Amino acid sequence: MELIKNTNFDFLGKRKFFYVFSISIIIIGLIFMTIKGEKNFGVDFVGGDLLNIEFNQKTDIVNLRNTIGETKIKGSFTVQELGTESKKFIIRLPQNTSNIVLKKLEEKFGNNFIVKGKSIISPSMSISLRKKSIKAFLIGLIGILIYLTIRFEFKFAVGATVAIFHDILIVISILVLSGKQIDGLVIASLLTIAGYSVNDTVVIFDRIRENLRKTRSTDYISIFNKSINETLSRTILTVLTTIFVVLSIFFFGGETLHTFSFCLLIGFIFGTYSSIFIASAIVIDWVKKSSSRIKL
Amino acid sequence: MKTYYIKFGVIIGVIGVCFYLFYPPTQKLKKGLDLQGGVHVVLELEKEENIEEKSISDLADRALEIIRNRIDALGVTEPLIQKEGTDRIIIDLPGVKNPEKAIEIIGKTALLEFKLVIDDESLFKQALNGNIPEGYELLYLKEKDERGIYRETQPLLLKKEPELTGKYIVDAYVGYDRTGFPDVNLVLDKEGAKIFEEVTGKNIGKRLAIVLDGVIKSAPMIKERIPEGKAVITGKFTMEEARELAIILRSGALPAKLNIIYQEVVGPTLGKEYIQKGFKASLYGAIIVVIFMIFYYLHFGLLADFALALNILILLGIMAGIKGVLTLPGIAGIALTCGMAVDANVLIFERIREELRGGKSPKASVDAGYYRAWTAIIDSNITTLITGFVLFIFGEGPIKGFGLTLSIGIIANLFTAVYVTKTIVDWIIINRKIERLRI
Repeated sequence: MELIKNTNFDFLGKRKFFYVFSISIIIIGLIFMTIKGEKNFGVDFVGGDLLNIEFNQKTDIVNLRNTIGETKIKGSFTVQELGTESKKFIIRLPQNTSNIVLKKLEEKFGNNFIVKGKSIISPSMSISLRKKSIKAFLIGLIGILIYLTIRFEFKFAVGATVAIFHDILIVISILVLSGKQIDGLVIASLLTIAGYSVNDTVVIFDRIRENLRKTRSTDYISIFNKSINETLSRTILTVLTTIFVVLSIFFFGGETLHTFSFCLLIGFIFGTYSSIFIASAIVIDWVKKSSSRIKL
Repeated sequence: MKTYYIKFGVIIGVIGVCFYLFYPPTQKLKKGLDLQGGVHVVLELEKEENIEEKSISDLADRALEIIRNRIDALGVTEPLIQKEGTDRIIIDLPGVKNPEKAIEIIGKTALLEFKLVIDDESLFKQALNGNIPEGYELLYLKEKDERGIYRETQPLLLKKEPELTGKYIVDAYVGYDRTGFPDVNLVLDKEGAKIFEEVTGKNIGKRLAIVLDGVIKSAPMIKERIPEGKAVITGKFTMEEARELAIILRSGALPAKLNIIYQEVVGPTLGKEYIQKGFKASLYGAIIVVIFMIFYYLHFGLLADFALALNILILLGIMAGIKGVLTLPGIAGIALTCGMAVDANVLIFERIREELRGGKSPKASVDAGYYRAWTAIIDSNITTLITGFVLFIFGEGPIKGFGLTLSIGIIANLFTAVYVTKTIVDWIIINRKIERLRI
């Protein structure tokens, strides 16, 4: 079976449109992020208490929220329902308030619930977690960039790099817009996206390199377009098999992996999109501007 | 032909070794804290002003030793206790039954002091009015009320300078007082015994308060000189409380106050839930990929699926072999490997199709397919490997597990997706003299 065969799309002709499209999403996302401030981040990045509780009978989330509200703890808290049975909840609380809240819940609900998990993260810990994640992220990113620069000509490395940043920014934007929080696992997913979504770009660049060596023509746009079309089937298939798995994690992997797999899903889709529409386009525009020949 | 025997030998050997390494998986795979339940605590030393970096580090080392003793006394299997930086101590207690209690015991400073009670009425009144005289302090006796809740009951005026501290304790064990309540017996070392004898001898008729972490546990009357270096702490303890107190007194006081800056408790039910869900997600994901590959590439899809299965087997084998810790994100990493593992095969198969369309023979197409796809495969695997490595080295807790499975999966992938499938394809094409390839 072959789904994609002998295509001949003009991917690069409409590159201005895709530039605008991508930049718009990123700008809207970043504006949202600035407005929301600290609320963008999970407890491991800003500190706080986290309770994972399960009731043995249906419990109304509003009732639960009001009960916690009765404790008059300072700062905001959120109650999130897991699953569809109205039994499992995750409660995010300000720092060192979990014991007060648990006492209140015991008063109100007695032994009808169990605490399945509990985390307490102090501000000093959250700062070091944040620092560590950012450090890991930057080191990983620099590693990828160095590798690409070694393997490809500088302009290609830059094209791939911009595509990586594009993917990450898009994921962050969509994440923020959908009201999800950035935590340690999200940073791990961003790095995974950086490492994986560059694969499609590499496959396309690899083919461009091969096609450039075969010809003396300097009609780069048509060579690039041809290369993208020739590799389109494998570009889409490779990401498709991975997306199958990511979807499976998203639907069956449980709450902990929810945001993580959500990021991977968005990241892999946009990673393929940027490989096709952004990475090569940047190389083309740069070559056009500098009117130099590509040496590979 | 001979080279094929060697190649197949290598492949079968790898399968055998990996299978041996990880079977049975429930015993051989080491589960992370998030999967088996337990406590993860990060403690930070409370710094006093103008204290040197070096002495902070020394304090932390001493605290670590004391905590290790306390945890050993608790009887936790495979605890992980390590220092991070100069002033932090990380503790992992897998499978602990009563996490709150464990955290309490670990974090207790356990500074034990024996202080004389001052009976002077006027001084005491003065102190109650908030005017505590120099060299004295007002502490409370904590006692249990009828409902078993500790309450600060009686204030006592004490001499600030302790007569004796817990550092002379060589042993502490649980005994029973006359009314049948458990109490804690202390044995002092030679020097401590001498001091104790002196103090008790000089102050017969006065009360000696036993102060733990700034709270008076009991304040018995000194009836006689006590020469053998033995003391008893009574306080209407439950058996449990007496045992805990004995543990922390035996292990000694922490050299400084430790604050809990991170605490994660995973109940056993949550861990089980994680395993079930992670396994389900991986399985379903893998099944879809396997079916898709057969559907899309027919026999070659089957080949890629075999490589995928082998990839997972090697991944699990290496995990067990190097005693890598499996976490929930680690399971996600295995699932992700299922999706990425076939990528190399997709690249190769697509290239073979292309070469076949170009009119090459099956053997030449296969060779060219593998050869030409190689650069793209290696480039893409290395970039992903870089991220996996970084996450393993710099990642925190469960994320480390993700980096680990992702990295191993990708390394194994180069072997299974390229070496193994190429060997099998070559062998079939030569043996069966295949003239037309369906892919």
